[in-house]
Amino acid sequence: MLRNPFTKWLWDARRSILGWSVAVAAVGSMYGSFWPTFDDPEMQELIANYPSEIMEALNYTEIASAAGYLNATVYGLVVAMLMIVYAVSSGTRMIAGDEEAGTLDLILVHPVGRIRVALERYLAFVVSVAVISLVLLIAILAISVPAKLTSIPIENLMAMHLHLLLFGCLFGAVTFAVGTASGSRVLALSIGAGVAVFGFAANGVLRQIEGLEWTKNLSPFDWLNGSAPLTNGVHVADLATMALLSTILVGFGLWAFDRRDIDV
Amino acid sequence: MSDAALRVEGLVKHYGHTVALDGLDLQVERGEVYGFLGPNGAGKTTTIRLLLDLIRPTEGRAEVLGLDPRTAGPDLRRRIGYLADDFVVDGRQTAGELLTYLANVRGGVPASRVDGLSERLGLDRTKRIRSLSRGNRQKVGVVQAFMHEPELLILDEPTSGLDPFLQQEFALLVREAVSGGATVFMSSHVMGEVQRIADRVGIVRRGRLLAVDDVEELRHRSRRRIELVFADEVGEDAFGSIPGVSEVTVEGRTLRCLLDGEADQLIKEASRHRVITMTAEEPDLEEIFFHLFDGGVGDDDAS
Repeated sequence: MLRNPFTKWLWDARRSILGWSVAVAAVGSMYGSFWPTFDDPEMQELIANYPSEIMEALNYTEIASAAGYLNATVYGLVVAMLMIVYAVSSGTRMIAGDEEAGTLDLILVHPVGRIRVALERYLAFVVSVAVISLVLLIAILAISVPAKLTSIPIENLMAMHLHLLLFGCLFGAVTFAVGTASGSRVLALSIGAGVAVFGFAANGVLRQIEGLEWTKNLSPFDWLNGSAPLTNGVHVADLATMALLSTILVGFGLWAFDRRDIDV
Repeated sequence: MSDAALRVEGLVKHYGHTVALDGLDLQVERGEVYGFLGPNGAGKTTTIRLLLDLIRPTEGRAEVLGLDPRTAGPDLRRRIGYLADDFVVDGRQTAGELLTYLANVRGGVPASRVDGLSERLGLDRTKRIRSLSRGNRQKVGVVQAFMHEPELLILDEPTSGLDPFLQQEFALLVREAVSGGATVFMSSHVMGEVQRIADRVGIVRRGRLLAVDDVEELRHRSRRRIELVFADEVGEDAFGSIPGVSEVTVEGRTLRCLLDGEADQLIKEASRHRVITMTAEEPDLEEIFFHLFDGGVGDDDAS
């Protein structure tokens, strides 16, 4: 496991990946298992009586089906938030955190290129997001019978997890790019958090405002589950958008990293 | 292409408005131990980071083993061993894990070499780096710098964290590397450290190289502060007239003076009395600088 920067990153992050996998799977399956409580005429009537603007702002309009419930509460909210925290903090640590701790120099004076070190770390991060996403998928499948989620086809669940994987990669790419280009942990964290806040607002509150509906199309949250993958399967355009943006961001970060001074 | 191990021409490095290097010239021949001596903030670490391609020059050029570090990439770094003044790494890994990783990145290092170095320095590789003292952490740094038997060793204040025994062992390692054909470029702000190890010394201050000298020559030129305590009171006149001796003061039975060059005459004069103690302070860097500037080198003031 100590062969190269790719495996080294995974090895160093092994406890963190395990912790996050367990946490995301636990929280996700807990929220998922509340579905039977919602799937009850009284509850649905109660929900139907909420003002539609609030329901829309929370993206809870489709909450009457198992797929709609999971989409809105699990994937669109708690899992998305946890994934953002994991991705933003990992992307920040990858280069900027290492550099500020003074520990980046050592590997860079070894016979590996700068770009290779940074790229291998990002790819290792992508693997870690895939692991977290896969563990959650297994957990959701495990509770699907008692939680009455069997109406959701497994291929749609897999589609949802593909969206989640790219959503995590995108947030990681944002902080990776900023941190790698600037060497500043704080800047990377701030911009990562800023993108998350904007994305969340654009997907909920902003699109309620006349003239700002278009902002929804710019929200990573919309790319994550605006197309309701649990109901409709993969949405190629949204997946491609996240993949392309991640690639551009990572590419930019590597380009800038190769050209700048490494801080003392 | 040149035959020198290191060649630096007119190197300038600005950080915003701060000038870290101001036209540094430097040449280190293959097979020598070059001491790069200067006070803190003189530009030693900046120079080293430029040689390692961690930072890029504002102007000027550097050649390392005949190659430009900016473009030579991994192939050049494979031939270099580097030790930072404070060896910091992620403390959660063990020393063994880190060394295995670094050896792998280098394309493999004989296990016997790593074992041998660790044993010589008394490094316990099973411990997490976080739990090691500064000196023990520095040992990990020494092992990774020497383990692949590099052609060029770049050492930034290498022995500052090592105890005297390890400094001794370190000096031996450097000697062995050199007798195996390696070149050593070593920075320091301590005269004694450089004197013990280096053949030639370059003195750097405010981003410029002031002088290059053989260590022996420098030792000769540097003045020491001498203090002699006698059994009886002595007069200062006899001492004041000795060549090389200046600023003689006598307080009761204690005589203090500055000595340039050979000590022979002073000792002979002192031996006419009964000497209780004698101390000779290593000349510190500021004094050497003062001496250099005294001779009219540069327009800089040395205070």
